[in-house]
Amino acid sequence: MRKRRHRWLDHTSEVQLQVEAESLAGLAAEAGRALGLLLLRDEVHDVPARPEGPAREIQVESVDREALLVDWLNEILFLAEVERWVAVEFDILEISSTHLEARALGVPVEESPALVKAATFHGLAVEERAGGLQAEVIFDV
Amino acid sequence: MSRKERKARAHSPKAQAGNRPPAPPKAPPPSYPSVRLSPNLVEIPITARGDMNVPARVWADEELWKQISRDRTLHQLINVSTLPGITGTAQAMPDAHEGYGFPVGGVAAFRARDGIISPGGVGYDINCGVRLLASEIEAGELGHPRLESLIQDLGRAIPSGTGRGSHLRFAGEDLDRVLAEGCTYLAERGLATAEDLDTIEARGSLATADPRAVSDRARQRGGDQLGSIGSGNHFVEVQRVEKLFDLAAAEALRLRVGQVVILIHTGSRGLGHQVCTDYVRAMDAVMARHGIQLPDRELACAPFQSPEGQKYFGAMCAAANFAFSNRQAITWAAREVFRKTLGGQGGLRVIYDVAHNMAKLERHGEEDLVVHRKGATRAFGPSHPETPAIYKGIGQPVLIPGSMGTASYVLVGTDEGFDLSYGSTCHGAGRAMSRTAAKKVQSGAEVRKGLEDRGIVVRASVGELAEEAPYAYKDVDRVVEVVHQAGLARKVARLVPLGVIKG
Repeated sequence: MRKRRHRWLDHTSEVQLQVEAESLAGLAAEAGRALGLLLLRDEVHDVPARPEGPAREIQVESVDREALLVDWLNEILFLAEVERWVAVEFDILEISSTHLEARALGVPVEESPALVKAATFHGLAVEERAGGLQAEVIFDV
Repeated sequence: MSRKERKARAHSPKAQAGNRPPAPPKAPPPSYPSVRLSPNLVEIPITARGDMNVPARVWADEELWKQISRDRTLHQLINVSTLPGITGTAQAMPDAHEGYGFPVGGVAAFRARDGIISPGGVGYDINCGVRLLASEIEAGELGHPRLESLIQDLGRAIPSGTGRGSHLRFAGEDLDRVLAEGCTYLAERGLATAEDLDTIEARGSLATADPRAVSDRARQRGGDQLGSIGSGNHFVEVQRVEKLFDLAAAEALRLRVGQVVILIHTGSRGLGHQVCTDYVRAMDAVMARHGIQLPDRELACAPFQSPEGQKYFGAMCAAANFAFSNRQAITWAAREVFRKTLGGQGGLRVIYDVAHNMAKLERHGEEDLVVHRKGATRAFGPSHPETPAIYKGIGQPVLIPGSMGTASYVLVGTDEGFDLSYGSTCHGAGRAMSRTAAKKVQSGAEVRKGLEDRGIVVRASVGELAEEAPYAYKDVDRVVEVVHQAGLARKVARLVPLGVIKG
C-alpha cells in the first residue's frame, strides 16, 4: 500500500486537511491526491495508484505559495465538477512559489462530485518543518 | 454493512489517514473576556483584542454559549469585528459555529459609503436559503405507502447532484436572463406564477445583479445544475405541521396542524461556489492597494464603492438570482410530482423563500449598510417595506430548518429585531460535532434505521447520513427559543419530518 502523508483534522463544520512532503512539488501532489480521494469517496472503492487513461495538463499561476496551493486544489475541484474527471495522481513538471505545471491522471465519474465547494484561505499555512514542508487547508463542504 | 457503506467508510477522511499516526489534539481556542447583558445575549467588549473596531455580541443562553465557546467561533467573530467600516456590533446567532472567515451564524453590517464587502462574509454557497411550500393535504390522509411513493418520485424528479435527470436546461442567453432576472424570468417561461413571486424574498429577482461579472468558469460549473439540491446539509423534506404557537400568524400564513408541507434547503450550487472562489482570489490580489490588512486571508474584501467591490456585488446578486431560480425549479418539479401522485390535492403554495447566505444593501436608521449574513436569516418585521403585502400584519416569515430528522420552525420577523440584530435570526440548529466525530457515533445505516424506526422515509446516501445525523447538531428547539425570547423573531409553527431527500 502506498504510504499516505496526509490526514484529516477535526473541524466543527468543514473538512481540514494536513499534508506533509519533502518539497513543494511533493506537497502539491499529496494534497491533490487527498482531495481526489475525498471526492471519490462514494464512487470508487479501489482508487488505482496510477489510473489508466489519458493524462491532463494542469497549470496554475498565483501570487504566492499559499495562494498557489489553494488555486491548485480549486483547479482539481473545477475539473472534477465540470469534466466529471477526478485527478488523483500527479507528476509535477515545474513548480515555484507562483507557478505550477503538472500532468495529472484521474478517474472518470458518472456524476459530478458535489461534496466540496472550495479550498479556502482560512487557517492556511505552508510551513517549513524538519525534513520538508507541512500545510493545512480547510475545504468548505 | 452495505457495499455502498463500505465504500463510504473506506474513503472517509478517517480511513484515508491510512498508515499515518492520528492527528495531535488541536490547540484550545483563544479565550476572551465577556459580559452577559441578558439571559440570551453576551457581549465581548471592544477592548478584548487590540484590533477590534466594534464589540462582538452572541445571542445565546448559558448552554448555547458553552457550546459556541468550544471551537473557534468567537475568534472568527472577533476577526470580523476588525474589518474596515463595520458598524454597531459584530454578531453571532445562537446556532453559530466555527466556519472559515466569518463564523457560520455571523452577521455584520458595513457602511456602504466607506466600508467593505467580503465574499468570505457571504460564503461559497451564495443565497443558500430555504423555501416552504404548503399543500392542501393532511398527513393522516397521506398514509405510509403513498408517502413512500411520494418521496421516491420527488427524489427522481429533483436530482441531488448535477442537472442530470432534471428536465431544465438553461445556457447562453437563457442563463444570462436567469442570472439577471431570477424568478421573474422563470415566470415568463411558465415555471413560476405571479403568486409565487409575491412570497419570495425580493420577489426572487435582485435588480442589482450583473451577469457580466459572472465568469465563464462559474457558468460551466453550475449552469446545468438548476433544479438540483446538492450535498452536505441540503435537502428536500416532506413535513407535517405539528404545533402552532401563534394562531393569528398561522392563520395569516394559512398553516394548520396536521397539514403536509415541503421544506427546500439549497442554494446557488456550483455556480455560486465558483463566483465566491473567483472573487476571494480577485480581492486577495487588490487588498494591499486598498490598504486593507486582515487577521485572516479568507476575509478578503474590497471597499463596497470600489470597482472590485461593485463587481463582486453584481456577481453575488446574479448568483443569488440563480439560487432563487433553483428553489423555484425544484418547486415546479415538486408540484408535478404532487399533481401526479395526489391529483387534485396536489397544489403547493409558496409560503416564503428566504436567503441565509447573502450581503444586502439595506437602510438602517440614517445609514445605508451592506449587511452580511453568513448562516443567518433575514427577519424583517411587519412595518418593513420589504415585508410582502400579505404578511404586513405579522412580519416576514422566517424559516428555520432543523437537522435531519428533527423539527423545523416557522417564525415571523419583528420590528424590534431590526434594531437588535439588523433584522436577522439564526438559520438552523447549527453544527455541534465534526463530521469525523459524527461518523464515530453511528454508521450511515444505523442513522437510516433510527429515522425509519420513527416512521421517516429516507432517500439519501449512507455516507452523507452519518455526517448529517441529528446528534451532530445543536438542539434546534433551544436555538429557536433564544431567538423567540430575545425578540429577534416570533415562533409560529413547529414542523416535523415525514420524509427526507438528500444528496
